[in-house]
Amino acid sequence: MRECLALLRAAWLTETSYRLNMLFSLASLIFVVVPLYFVARALQPTMASSIASQSQQYFAFVLIGSATLTLISASASALPNAVASAIGRGTLEAFLSTPTHPALLLGGMSAYGVLWAVVRAAILVAAGAVLGVRIAWANAPAILALLALLIVCYAAFGLIASAMLLCFRTTGPLLSGLLSLSALLGGVYYPTHVIPSWIQQLSNALPLTYGLRALRQSALLGVPVVRLGHDMAMLAGFAVFLLLIGTLTVAAALRFAKRAGTLSQY
Amino acid sequence: MTVLQVSPTQARHGAGWHGAPAVQLQGLTKHFAQRRSFRDMLVPRPRTPRVAAVDEVSFEVAAGEVFGLLGPNGAGKTTIFRMLSTMILPDRGSAVVGGFDVVTQSANVRRILAAVPADERSLHWRLSARENLLLFAALHRVPQSEASARVQELLGTVGLGTAGNKLVAAFSSGMRQRLLIARALLARPRILLLDEPTRALDPLSAQEFRRFLRREIVEHRRCTIVLATHNTEEAFGFCDRVAVLDRGRVLATGATTDLAARFGEERYRLLTTDPDHPALSALERCGLLRSLCRSQSSSPDWMIVECAISGDPARSAQVLKRLVESGVPVARLERVDTSLADLITRIIGAAPKSVAHA
Repeated sequence: MRECLALLRAAWLTETSYRLNMLFSLASLIFVVVPLYFVARALQPTMASSIASQSQQYFAFVLIGSATLTLISASASALPNAVASAIGRGTLEAFLSTPTHPALLLGGMSAYGVLWAVVRAAILVAAGAVLGVRIAWANAPAILALLALLIVCYAAFGLIASAMLLCFRTTGPLLSGLLSLSALLGGVYYPTHVIPSWIQQLSNALPLTYGLRALRQSALLGVPVVRLGHDMAMLAGFAVFLLLIGTLTVAAALRFAKRAGTLSQY
Repeated sequence: MTVLQVSPTQARHGAGWHGAPAVQLQGLTKHFAQRRSFRDMLVPRPRTPRVAAVDEVSFEVAAGEVFGLLGPNGAGKTTIFRMLSTMILPDRGSAVVGGFDVVTQSANVRRILAAVPADERSLHWRLSARENLLLFAALHRVPQSEASARVQELLGTVGLGTAGNKLVAAFSSGMRQRLLIARALLARPRILLLDEPTRALDPLSAQEFRRFLRREIVEHRRCTIVLATHNTEEAFGFCDRVAVLDRGRVLATGATTDLAARFGEERYRLLTTDPDHPALSALERCGLLRSLCRSQSSSPDWMIVECAISGDPARSAQVLKRLVESGVPVARLERVDTSLADLITRIIGAAPKSVAHA
C-alpha cells in the first residue's frame, strides 16, 4: 500500500507543479453546472414523468449522471493515460524493475487520476447542493459502495485498454466507444427505459445503467439498500467479471511486451 | 560457436575466485520480429521474419568484478541488460543472476539487481532529486524509518548532497546520471548494470565518476558491475574483463589488456621533417614498417608518419636506429595506444576465422 501512496504522492507533486492547469480544471466545473442548471429547469416539465422512478428534479437527475460520468471516464482512462505517460517518459520500465508487484504499481499509477475525478465529481455535487439538489446522506454507505463498484467496473475496462496499449501502442476505439455508449445508453441524461427497446439490450450490457439507476434511487429518493439488490448484484457481477478479465488481459499483455521487447518503446 | 577466450587473468577473475558467479549466461538468445509493413498486416506472411539481437551468448561475471560489454551499436548489449533486468524474456538459453533465474525467479532478481539506463528520461523531471529517490525507496520497499536517511546518504555519496531539493529538470546531464546511480543504489543491490554510464559526462567528470564507482560501489559496497561502454578509458582502465559483441554474438572475452595484446597492433607515431625519405620506403619493403599514414603536425615544418611495427619494443628501437643512421630527421618516435574502436574492429575482423577454426 505504501508503494501506491508513494506513486500517488509523486503524481500529486507533478500535477501541482502545473498549478494553472489545476485551477482551470476546477474552474471549468462552473461551466458545467451553471448551464446544466438552467437547461434542466427548462426541461423539468417535459422530463418529470419519465424520471420519476429515479428523481423528482431533472437537474438532480442530470447532475448525478454528469458527476458519475466524470468519475467513470476517469476510472477507465486513468490507467491507460498513466501507462502511456510512463512509456513516453521512460518510467514504466524503471517502475517494473523494482520488486513492487505490478498490480500495486498499476493501482498506484492510476490512483491520482481516479481521486482527482472523485474531487471534481464531489465539487459538482456540492455545487448542485448549493443550487437545491437534496442528497439522502443517510444512504451514504450504499452510495459509496455503488460508486466503488462503478469505479472497479470501469477501471477494469482501463486494464483492458492498458493491455492494448502495452501490446499495440494504442487503445483503439475501446475507451472512446465505451464512454460514448455509456453516456448515450447508460442513463446519464435520460432514463434508459425511454430509449428504443431494440437498443435497450445494449444498455443492459453497460454497468453504468445499473449503477446510475441505483445511485439516483439511493441518493435522490432515499430508497433503502435492500430495495437496490438487483442493480447492486448486477453491478457486483460486472465488477468481478470485468476485473478478472482485465487482470488476466494486462498480465498477458505484460508477458507479450516482455517477449516482444516492446515494453519501453513508444 | 567458439568464443575467443583471451584471458590469462581469468583465473584471477573467473568463477570460483569469489565463489559462485554473480551473473551467468548460457546460450542466451533473443530474436525480435522485424517491423511489418501495411502490406504484411493485410496479407500476413506464414512466418514473420525475425532478427537475432542476442545469439547464443555465454559468459560469467564473478562477484565483485567490473565486467564490460563492448561492441558497435546493435551488438546486443542493451538487449542483454534488459534480459538481465527481467524486462525482456529470452527465447532460449538461461541467465542466472545471483543464483536466481531471470525468467522463473524474476522477482528475486529484481531484489538484488539494479539497472542504470543510458536514458535520463526515466527520472521524474518535475520532482526534486529527493522526491525522486523517496518514490523509488518506497517501490524498493526500503523501510519507511530508514528511507529519508538512506536518501540523504546516497545524495551525499553521489555528490548531490546540496542539490537534493532542486528539480531534476534543472539538473545537468552529469547530475542526472548521478541521480540514476543513487536511485539504483537505494535497494543496496549486489549487481549493478550500467548502460553507457559516462555517455553524457565531460572527460573530467567521467574520470571522477569512474573513481567514484571503483571506490564506493566496487570496493566499499562490494557490488558487481556489468557495464556497456564505447569509452576507451572505461574499457581499458576500469573493467577487469570485457566481452566483445557483434551482431548479438560474443566474439571474445578476457581482460582488455590481454585482448589488446592479442588483437591490437603496435602502432607508432614518428615526427619528422622528411616523411618521404627513401629509408621509410625501404623499411616498409623489408616488412619492418607497415600501414604508413602521413599527416601534418601542429608545427608547420614537421610531419607525422603513423605506422605499425610488429614485435617487441626491441624491434621499434631497431627501426629508430636505422632511420637515424639513414639520415631521417626524427624528433620523436612514440607508441600509440590501441583505441577501443581499433580493437573491436580487429576482433570483429578476426571472428570468422576463429569460428571457422572451431
